[in-house]
Amino acid sequence: MKKINGYVEELFKNIPESEQKNAVMQEVTQNLEEKVWDLMGEGKTEEDAINKAIVDFGDIEDLKQELGVSQPKKRNTSKLNLWYSIWGSLLIISLFVFINFYYSPEIIWFVYPTFAVLWWPLTMYFSWKRTK
Amino acid sequence: MIRSDIIRGHLESIILRLVCEEDRYGYEISKEISARTDNRFQIKEATLYAVFQRLEKKDLIDSYFGNVSQGGKRKYYRITTLGKAYLKETVEEWKETKAIIDLFMEGLD
Repeated sequence: MKKINGYVEELFKNIPESEQKNAVMQEVTQNLEEKVWDLMGEGKTEEDAINKAIVDFGDIEDLKQELGVSQPKKRNTSKLNLWYSIWGSLLIISLFVFINFYYSPEIIWFVYPTFAVLWWPLTMYFSWKRTK
Repeated sequence: MIRSDIIRGHLESIILRLVCEEDRYGYEISKEISARTDNRFQIKEATLYAVFQRLEKKDLIDSYFGNVSQGGKRKYYRITTLGKAYLKETVEEWKETKAIIDLFMEGLD
């Protein structure tokens, strides 16, 4: 039955260590061994039985996915980005307003940079909408 | 042997049904599936364990170690209350699906 152990080790070698992985490996080994005993009971030689059990086992990709480290979900930061853009643009706009009225109150020009700056929260608003 | 994706989508229900009848362990389930389908469908063990993991994660089954057999302790699975409810729902869903697909698949030959 050493061959079974070796096979299972080989199968699972790329999966990160975890309690869950060890439990599944144990389970798989146990079940494979039982299958081998069964097949031998049907008259197969040990080698044939082991080979058949291994061939029948199939592709482990699915299982890998279940056992793989669950990828931390990428946090959706678009709402945060939106708030950042709103506060950021408010600060910039108030800076313009201040400069405008402090140094050149006779001409109202702060509107122009304000429009430019507003593209920022506008973009963020729609990128937030898109993720909803 | 069928290896269709259609069955794949129902493996969870198939396994739930089998552990609903009685507590079973992995190899027993794969044998039972082959036996009941007259070997027309055989589940790959690798797939089986993946489904166990999924079902356990969803709390539809849980497991315990049973008696020692050749090789080691068998890991048995049993259905949870949630699992039973889920199974019942999937049965209803399947009936509905089957009726719809039958509308288009029947009466051609």
